[in-house]
Amino acid sequence: MSFDIIVDWLQAALRWAAPLILVSIGEVYSERSGVINMGIEGIMLFGALSGVAVAFYTQSLLLALLITIVVGAILGLAVAYLTVSRRTNQVVTGLMINMVALGATDMIFALLSATRKARVATFPTIFPESMHNIPVIGKLLFAQPVSTWIALILPFIAGYILYKTKWGLNVRAVGDNPKAAATAGLSVIHIKYQTVILSGIFAAVGGCALTLGEVGYFSAGGMAAGRGFIVMAACVVAGWDPVRTALICIAFGAADTAQLRFQSITTVVPYQFLQMLPYIITIIALTIMVKRSRVPKTWGAPYDPKDV
Amino acid sequence: MKLLKNAKILDVPIIGDIVVSAGRTFLGIALGLIASGILIAITGVNPFVAYAALIKGAFGNAQAMSNVLVRASPLLLGGIAVSLGIKAGVWNTGIEGYMYLGAIGAAMVGVLDLGLPPVVHILLCFVCAAVFAGIWGAIPGYLRAYKGVNEVTSTIMLNYIAIYLTSWVVSNFSLLAQTDAFYPMSKQFLPSALLPILMPGSSLHPGPFIGIILCIVFYFVLNYTPFGFRTKMLGANPFAARYSGTNSNKQIMIIIIIGAVIGGFSGAVEVMGLKHRVFMDFVTGVGYESVAVALLAGGSPIGVVFSALFFAALKAGGATMSIETGVASSMSSIIIAMCMLFVIGVGVVDSHRLKKVVDTSKYDEADEIAEAPKGKVEK
Repeated sequence: MSFDIIVDWLQAALRWAAPLILVSIGEVYSERSGVINMGIEGIMLFGALSGVAVAFYTQSLLLALLITIVVGAILGLAVAYLTVSRRTNQVVTGLMINMVALGATDMIFALLSATRKARVATFPTIFPESMHNIPVIGKLLFAQPVSTWIALILPFIAGYILYKTKWGLNVRAVGDNPKAAATAGLSVIHIKYQTVILSGIFAAVGGCALTLGEVGYFSAGGMAAGRGFIVMAACVVAGWDPVRTALICIAFGAADTAQLRFQSITTVVPYQFLQMLPYIITIIALTIMVKRSRVPKTWGAPYDPKDV
Repeated sequence: MKLLKNAKILDVPIIGDIVVSAGRTFLGIALGLIASGILIAITGVNPFVAYAALIKGAFGNAQAMSNVLVRASPLLLGGIAVSLGIKAGVWNTGIEGYMYLGAIGAAMVGVLDLGLPPVVHILLCFVCAAVFAGIWGAIPGYLRAYKGVNEVTSTIMLNYIAIYLTSWVVSNFSLLAQTDAFYPMSKQFLPSALLPILMPGSSLHPGPFIGIILCIVFYFVLNYTPFGFRTKMLGANPFAARYSGTNSNKQIMIIIIIGAVIGGFSGAVEVMGLKHRVFMDFVTGVGYESVAVALLAGGSPIGVVFSALFFAALKAGGATMSIETGVASSMSSIIIAMCMLFVIGVGVVDSHRLKKVVDTSKYDEADEIAEAPKGKVEK
């Protein structure tokens, strides 16, 4: 009985963490190359909306995913152009992108009035029904939507690319010592563009996983609810390592789904205090871990090729 | 490039800089307005009609202008709070959280019948708001200064915590919560704790003027006091600041707390002057808007006055535009953010380019002349 509750809880934790993990993969790359993409919160919103809207009008989840990737790439390109080419302040750029996203997604959502109350089909599970009944892991893993599976596998691939391939080495070199990288013949600007666009794509896909992986609808007024910033905190806590960042995201997921379960069984603690928990845990985790993390050396600093 | 070289006014040292930065700002705003106009056109509304409605809504009559001032109040206070942080090199993005805490603090004494005369009661509300918001701001301040936790993440997390705290206060906290309300809200403030209405028939309260006065006060604090000097040095060159004996950790913490206290005032003004109750989402979007205000002002306190009024006009006019032409109500915040993206986008590289022009072509001699007296003083 109580065991069932735990399995149930962990399953929800993984499902909750999936969007965060997807967003974090892109953000790890972008921050490793020195660019903090603070706009991921806003790009998540765009991804969440485009996923639902396209799925609603075309009834095709694949098309929804593809369009979302395009939307994310365009927004990532915008962030890259501003922060890399125009060398704007990365904090400000991200915050303003978030502000545009908050307003624009609300506006577009109001325009597509047909989608307002609509629920769309969510991502399917990939394993046959019979496997869902296997004790523990059946429910925990095989009953998960495909987006969760992608989110669980991708961090390992991302880690491999970051540490074992030439491109991954280039990304780390650009973030730690852009001048040396440029001297060695790398195009620092190109690599930064690639990672920031990647972070835009993953942020949009993560937003899409938020709506199409779980709830199946979009709600106005900032449904990302600070998840973009939680992902950024997770990157810091995990020291910009894709696999460890994913684990931290799962831990945040476990905390948030635990508070949801507490809400239903206890009335002693007001539910608002339980709702605060993920945010409080984020701050505490940051406080404990921030000095231990090895920061990419040019983290957040603009790169000017003319400065020699 | 050629144009820049030929333009004589750009060669004048200080005025040239002002012309360039003002020119960049206005170019950015213009591009932002054009881009937003295209967006409006996409949604099926004639952008010229929409902007005409916006201007009418902001400046059409005295009522509209008082509305602009009312909307400017949180932007002025939030803008100066963020500006102060920018001067010290920190991004104080927690304005919304401070406003909620300030509002709760003000409500703690504002809804109680203490038998106080109005002025004393109002002042007590402000003190309480300052204490609540100041303690709230001490959390990100301490974490940034002594633990190295990025203040943007921590303040935004704290904003969400503050929203849930407010939700609890107005629905379950028996001292403040209004029972049997159709929507969770606090009890009404007593008449003695309400700010006076300055213009009959409008909702103009003293908030915007408090904001303008604070902006002027901080102009002098930043430019003419040791505290202001330390703050600016910290932002311009943190290593030099530490080398010259400034306790930079303490300074950062104080700056964030002062920002929080101003944010708390802002929240108190909103509930005591306009809403008369605390409820859950009485400040939506002010956090981002305050950052935009401070940015447009380039962190300058006097600039905050103008940029806050400009954005307030956009917001007030935007509401009219939304009602009259059917453009989405969130359009005004899109316009603000678009303008800011273009302003910062136009900014950096051009100033860099200009510096190169000035450095290489004309100012070698001028620099030598400027440096000469310094050398004499040292001897």
